Amino acid sequence: MTEKKTFIRPCTWIYLLLMALTFVTWFIGTQQFSGLQISLMVLGFALLKGQLIGDYFMGLKQVSGFWRWVITIWLLLVGSLIAFAFNIAA
Amino acid sequence: MNPMEKNKWPPGDLVIWIFIMAELLAFGVFFSVYAFTRANHVELFNTYQLTLDRNAALINTLALITSSYFVVRAVSAIRKDNSKRCFHWLLGALFMGVVFLAVKSMEYNHHFSHGVNLNTNTFYMFYLSLTVFHFLHVILGMIILSAVALKARAGGYSAQEHTGVETGASYWHMVDLVWMVLFPLVYVMR
Repeated sequence: MTEKKTFIRPCTWIYLLLMALTFVTWFIGTQQFSGLQISLMVLGFALLKGQLIGDYFMGLKQVSGFWRWVITIWLLLVGSLIAFAFNIAA
Repeated sequence: MNPMEKNKWPPGDLVIWIFIMAELLAFGVFFSVYAFTRANHVELFNTYQLTLDRNAALINTLALITSSYFVVRAVSAIRKDNSKRCFHWLLGALFMGVVFLAVKSMEYNHHFSHGVNLNTNTFYMFYLSLTVFHFLHVILGMIILSAVALKARAGGYSAQEHTGVETGASYWHMVDLVWMVLFPLVYVMR
């Protein structure tokens, strides 16, 4: 398989998806939607974007062992703490 | 190498990944402290969050994502032994970094001209310190990318040896990744 098919093409789709999720997040922000469920949804988008950057842009999808999961672990840890804090504030 | 075969180590120099882990830890603590402090000052945080410019944050998020994508293209170019194209993609990434710094500076100028500073209230203390901390990382990332771009222009990398490009790319993606959490946390979630 070529570099274009295995690396560039997936990254281009991921780039477009990241842009789309950013616009959705921005729209929610401009509408000033509030509440726990909205906040958790926006946080979910952020964690998904982070995972996609780690997997595709940083190339961790092609790595095995600890380094494969380093970004995932960070996202889950930080995301859980933020979600917990917003939950107790609600 | 078979493209489906997995590597044992992440792209770039392993030292940068140790550095990235340390950076992520620092930002993770910062984000968590922001969220738990907010839990005790919900009204204050919700009120002053509305004074932030979400359009500027949108432009900056798009700039960083685009910049990261350009860096992906630069890595791909050098893997194909195309130093010139690698250099051009890195220049594009640096330009998007400049866009980020310019828009963020305009945001800061707006707040400072309205008398906002670290002592204004708890929300602004977090907003300014978190975003300035990230701003400094963007500058550091741009310095690293500039060094990589200059070496690429001089033909210092090849398809066989381009660890430097992957090292700079990994750091830049980390700067982008952190902003993906910072943007919704500070500008949107309420």
